[in-house]
Amino acid sequence: MRDISMILKNVWKSLLLFTAISAIAVSTVSAQDAAAGRTLFKAKCTSCHALDQKMVGPALTGVSDRHSEAFLLKWIPNSQGLIASGDPEAVKLYNENGKVAMTSFPELDETKVKDILAYIKEGEPKPKAGVAGAGGTQAVDNGDVSGLSIAGIVAIVVVAVVILVILGRASKLLERLILQKQGIETEEDVPLKVGVRKMFKNKKFVMFFILCLIIALGSWGWMGMWNTGVHTGYQPVQPIKFSHELHAGINQIDCQYCHNGAFKSKNSTIPSLNVCMNCHKAVQARDNYEGEISPEIKKIYNALGYDPETQKYDKSKEKPMEWVRVHNLPDFAYFNHSQHVVVGADAIRKAKGLQPNEPVCFACHGPVNTMEEIYQYSPLTMKWCINCHKETDISGQKNNAFYAKVIEAHEKIKKGEKITPALLGGLECGKCHY
Amino acid sequence: MKGSTLAMNKNKFVYAAFLAIAFAATFSACSDKRSTGLEYARNMYDPIAYNPDQPNKNFKDGKTAQLPPANTKPVGFEEYDVYPNTLEGYNEAGAKMVNPLTADSVNLAEGKHSFVVFCAPCHGEKGDGQGHLVKIEKFAGVPSYQTGASSRGGNMVDLTAGKIYHTITYGVNNMGSHASQITPTDRWKVVMYVQQLQKGQ
Repeated sequence: MRDISMILKNVWKSLLLFTAISAIAVSTVSAQDAAAGRTLFKAKCTSCHALDQKMVGPALTGVSDRHSEAFLLKWIPNSQGLIASGDPEAVKLYNENGKVAMTSFPELDETKVKDILAYIKEGEPKPKAGVAGAGGTQAVDNGDVSGLSIAGIVAIVVVAVVILVILGRASKLLERLILQKQGIETEEDVPLKVGVRKMFKNKKFVMFFILCLIIALGSWGWMGMWNTGVHTGYQPVQPIKFSHELHAGINQIDCQYCHNGAFKSKNSTIPSLNVCMNCHKAVQARDNYEGEISPEIKKIYNALGYDPETQKYDKSKEKPMEWVRVHNLPDFAYFNHSQHVVVGADAIRKAKGLQPNEPVCFACHGPVNTMEEIYQYSPLTMKWCINCHKETDISGQKNNAFYAKVIEAHEKIKKGEKITPALLGGLECGKCHY
Repeated sequence: MKGSTLAMNKNKFVYAAFLAIAFAATFSACSDKRSTGLEYARNMYDPIAYNPDQPNKNFKDGKTAQLPPANTKPVGFEEYDVYPNTLEGYNEAGAKMVNPLTADSVNLAEGKHSFVVFCAPCHGEKGDGQGHLVKIEKFAGVPSYQTGASSRGGNMVDLTAGKIYHTITYGVNNMGSHASQITPTDRWKVVMYVQQLQKGQ
């Protein structure tokens, strides 16, 4: 009996082992397929398709249930040819999706298409989302800790002071009790109020006190007056939590992509929302919000009346995004962005010691690529403008039409030729009508 | 007697409250990054005319930035309604439009500047579809100018100037319209540069 049970046990064990191994083997094979499919999907499909949301093309989860594999094997490599051949399923699909043609992928052979379909069936591997989520919460925790630690230090200091005062009082009381027991009379404590009154009767002390007060208030007032109307560090709350650190820093998008007015005109324009939509039609940061669209990106959609499901704009729901202006030069000061970032770029770069990979904008706006929230970096005072205009070296500017004109006028003056205000830009409308 | 002590206490209380408020106000104004701090003669800094981004009660929709009135167009405005944002318009633009600019080094250099700013984040500086945003997986599936296939038929390398211009103006698939960011002249310069990249130069 015992032998038989042993044998059975062994058989059972080996069976288990075998099934386990084969299960692992099967799963690794299909995982490999899906992994290869994922890479292909990312490279070829994601410009128009996503798994769970409609983009340019339909959402692809469950595509194998909607269409036969034989059809998909023909459709994906050559959809346009299939439509042209008049295949009824292909024509129907084309019409259902607003007659937007799908790119043909002749380079995708049967195994590659099957890999992609395997990936679509399995969906995005789970752990990746978990890691991203953990990273997010960690960052939030770090932010809280720094605030908490400061509060903690302050609390510890306050508690320490209170304890010291109490201990001091207690030791004094004990001392007096001991002296009383020994029969030695002690003077009563002078009440605080009387002591202070005595001190203020001392003329020297009063003089000293007033002097201190004058110095403190004077320097405080002086500093206050210097900083009146200077907005350095001003960082208002904006309607969307737009991070320059993310867009200009991590994503390395050029300043000019959004503020394209800076290189062409007086103003560096605040981008209208259609510029946001150039990317955010597709980029919705769903990974960080458990598959939902980021609430900040939703604000763009709401302001435009854009429905991400139907991808349609509703003009009647449009409302302007009310950004809060950070940098504000008063109307009586003229500043032209293009004069600085195009004409004076080289000179400014040299004067401010900018690295070649840093945009010239950093000279005044500071390291914008590290600012999560934008703030005013420079004081924008007249003194600040003038100091820079005094120090910046603009000699040796080549191919500069402005200085070429100045030099031309000087040559004419040297030769004693006729010079008119018109030659020196006197006909510019803005000279009089500004 | 009782009345006067009460009055004295009241005075003291008012003084204390006043001091506390004054200190709180000045210190919070100094350290608060959300406020512009102490200001004198603020109205000298506020614009007399309306800034484009200001609310404006004179218009029905409350905005200062208004569209031009119907059936008018700004001086120097180039209309592009001839070729609508459809497959037919795209093919027609591709067949009929020619680049009005001559391909010289200045135009190409300016085209490259605009390309690097507006296109390279996705399309890559060489037009190979491997821009920084593709590398960090924000975008995917950007076709290469040299080897990719166009979603509207044919290969990217065969796109004519008119088709590229049409695409920059209206956008296609996940690429948005760049008409508001790049002026028509600059768009032709970009087209010129893109055609250089198509040849792999």
